Amino acid sequence: MTLIDYQQDMETCCRCSACKFIPLENVKGFEHANVCPSISRFEFHAYSGGGRLGLGVALLEKKIDYSDKLLEVVYNCQMCGACDTSCKYAMDMEVLDPINEIRITGVAGGHTLPVLDKIIASLRQTGTMVPGSRAKRGDWAEGLDVKDFTKQKSEVIYHAGCRTAYSRDMWPAARASIKLMQKAGIEAGIAPEETCCGGRAYQMGYRDDAIDQAKRNMDAIKKAGAKTLVTGCAECYHAFKVLYDKFGVRGDLEVLHTSEYFDQLIRAGRLKPEKKVDLYVTYHDPCHLGRQGEPYIRWQGKRRPGQVILFDPPKEFRRGTFGVYGPPRDVIGSIPGIRLTEMARTKEYAWCCGAGGGVRETNPAFARWTANERIGEVAETGVEAIVTGCPGCEDSFREAIKAAGNNLKVFDIVELLAESIL
Amino acid sequence: MALIGAQYTAFEDIVGADFISADPVILYAYSWRSGLYAGTDKFTPLFEAAVLPQNTEEVQAIVRLCNKLGLQFKATSTNWGLYNDATGPGVIKIDLRRMNRIIEINEKSLYAVVEPYVIGAQLQAECMKRGLICNQNGAGANCSALPIAAHGGYGHLSQSASYGERNMLALEWVAPDGELIRFGSLGSSGAWFCGDGPGPSLRGIVRGNVTPLGGLGVYTRAATKLYHWSGPPTFPVEGISPDYAPGEIPPRFLIRFFSFPSLDELDKAQRKMGESEIACELMGFNAAMAASNIATSNEEMVRLFQEFSGMVQGPSCMVIIVGDSPADFDYKTRVLAQIALETGGKSLDKITDDPKVAGGCLWRWLRSTASIREVFRATGCFGGEVGGTDTYRLMADYITETGKCKDDLIRRGLVYDDGSSPFTQSIEHGHTGHGELLIRYRPGAATWDGLMEFMGKANNIAINGHFGVPGHVFSDMQHDIYGPHVSSYHLWLRKIKKVFDPNNASEGSHYITVKE
Repeated sequence: MTLIDYQQDMETCCRCSACKFIPLENVKGFEHANVCPSISRFEFHAYSGGGRLGLGVALLEKKIDYSDKLLEVVYNCQMCGACDTSCKYAMDMEVLDPINEIRITGVAGGHTLPVLDKIIASLRQTGTMVPGSRAKRGDWAEGLDVKDFTKQKSEVIYHAGCRTAYSRDMWPAARASIKLMQKAGIEAGIAPEETCCGGRAYQMGYRDDAIDQAKRNMDAIKKAGAKTLVTGCAECYHAFKVLYDKFGVRGDLEVLHTSEYFDQLIRAGRLKPEKKVDLYVTYHDPCHLGRQGEPYIRWQGKRRPGQVILFDPPKEFRRGTFGVYGPPRDVIGSIPGIRLTEMARTKEYAWCCGAGGGVRETNPAFARWTANERIGEVAETGVEAIVTGCPGCEDSFREAIKAAGNNLKVFDIVELLAESIL
Repeated sequence: MALIGAQYTAFEDIVGADFISADPVILYAYSWRSGLYAGTDKFTPLFEAAVLPQNTEEVQAIVRLCNKLGLQFKATSTNWGLYNDATGPGVIKIDLRRMNRIIEINEKSLYAVVEPYVIGAQLQAECMKRGLICNQNGAGANCSALPIAAHGGYGHLSQSASYGERNMLALEWVAPDGELIRFGSLGSSGAWFCGDGPGPSLRGIVRGNVTPLGGLGVYTRAATKLYHWSGPPTFPVEGISPDYAPGEIPPRFLIRFFSFPSLDELDKAQRKMGESEIACELMGFNAAMAASNIATSNEEMVRLFQEFSGMVQGPSCMVIIVGDSPADFDYKTRVLAQIALETGGKSLDKITDDPKVAGGCLWRWLRSTASIREVFRATGCFGGEVGGTDTYRLMADYITETGKCKDDLIRRGLVYDDGSSPFTQSIEHGHTGHGELLIRYRPGAATWDGLMEFMGKANNIAINGHFGVPGHVFSDMQHDIYGPHVSSYHLWLRKIKKVFDPNNASEGSHYITVKE
């Protein structure tokens, strides 16, 4: 797909501004009606989903060209997909895909941001988006009796992801995941020198690099004979499950988030959370697990002639309806002692943590601002801890909490589950 | 023309560097045409700059600066519709996004004071927590809650919660020359409870038939009437978008769809419902609207449209009853049944038998969340006829006559063949009414020409049939057509514009200009 392929979608924008708000049926008060961090922070219409679609049309019509300002507007967006979901409550049109395509077209034309180029250079050289020595990527698993799926066949593999592998704060969740699998009798394999899923590269507009990573990873996975990939990173989950399907390389690989996988094991009686974890928590839906975590829908066709927007064959839109919302809550609910209180913005209309889309790298202050907004929402629930299922979100929240001098704790779901079982 | 450095700096000094831009990237986002009456041009003329004031003082300073520099300005709140756009060079965009506070909800005196960027959903949600409700703009809960933000402000709740013109109490107005004018009680005592006194009242001046549509200064705050709400503080919505529905219909709520053998019977039924004050909502509907509202995709909409078309016997309405008590609910539902019996109203139980479908409809209609589905999802563009506000039957007859002209557009393949009859609604439990006609299309030169022909026919019907001035009448061209037939009001309107806007600073192309 190219930008011009989305011209009709972009031109279907009626400028209603639904993309700026949570789905209107769910507005429960004055507060927390906004859903898009970008327009909420930068205010000009250009920073909204609809504004960016207008810019996409302006690019195609050659009214504007790539410029520093355009890149600034385009990259001050977490690609969280909230605009897409809110729009599709009412409309049959793509929103997030053309916005991403504006980035992709820019990268293809050499219109990039130096900070992102540097990260992509690291990806190309070392296979990771996070600065660090590739040789140490597997250190998180030191001392665990876990097999290397690049050397031994493994039906189930665990993908840690860049953010987990290179951040010691995330290691407990990854190590707990392996231990819980072992407790359930699952012999999962890891790749001590695993490489990046490529998901964030795609969000940043570097599609070719993302496809390269996808092919590389799938080659290794196929060689291992793996049937199931489990990951605790929402971005990796989205990449393996949705993007790899979109790229046509996923094949039959089953992709599960740790919350889904452990929920299944709990339901099957193979894991039993028994120890009490006395904690008041709220759950933050990561964008790439929630609204963007629903399966990719392969469709190839064309718009039917006539006045109404209909397609041949009929096109089913991804609207965020089938994201992963239940399993994380079910896992939390299975842990004795934990009391879950929902935030004002949840599930398909959850506010982003601020880390996505390369914003943490290009505009850390905006990422922090976005995280602070969420932390404020957490505070209103009166809980002690925020639980989530993505190292990017966890990292973003920890940083914001530390800066604010707040006492709020941040946990990965798996950490709490492990506390109740191991 | 582009702003020269010193001019830009002068605006920047008012709003700060972060809240002004003259970059084409920022400006082209504003100039993407809306889906409302979209023509063949994809972009409207660029603004010279966009500024985002945060309070009335900044608005006033911007307006005064425009007057001083010989520039024009156009202020917008939620920014939906062609009236928000510039029509030529030399215009500054005043985006009121940052003025987004609910100033007050007065539970005793039943009014709320809002700034322009409070949306309907926010104000309604806050009101519901307090056992109150406000009118909701029919365009949707995504629109400004300011009762004078744009156009008529008729909505699904207008049966019990009236509409913009009637709900507006005190108003804070930055006049086109920058003078700050506080209306009614606000002008004399600083209180918001009345728009007409004690203190100055210029209601007719600032509002006109459908508001000046951004062409006569900037409305910075206004009070709107509130009404009592017997429902829950929050509606029990369940499910994931777009499949929302309450798990159950709350007690003392009822939604019914009725179709009637003729417009006479519908008229009779609606008058009886109004007189007996049983309905929280009483809204006209047709098969196309209902299908678009309920369906979550166009594919489903087409299917439901066929289904519903076979169910209706004629002109139709939707009724929502909210009982204040079990006895009140019982009384109202009995009265409704009796009215339906007396007027031949056929209940479309197929829509309401499933509590999930009925519950979904109930909340969508109360919150007004599906207007975008009804109007824009099918084709992306709306070019329908918005009738006026007068006696119910007059408006119903006007829109019915006008609706016949749509057939020609359908026959020529220029618009979506949704077969839709027009819809009419009665307002304030009374005999006032409003009617509209849905026309959905893909933009193109032939369609646009067809729509212009249609508009000409609608004008002929309105003028020759003495139906009054419809809601689509704005801009010099339309006013000059209607004015000579209606007490030469256009000349007075022009005088108002000239007196209050001596420097022609408030861009008035969608209102009226001072041309001789």
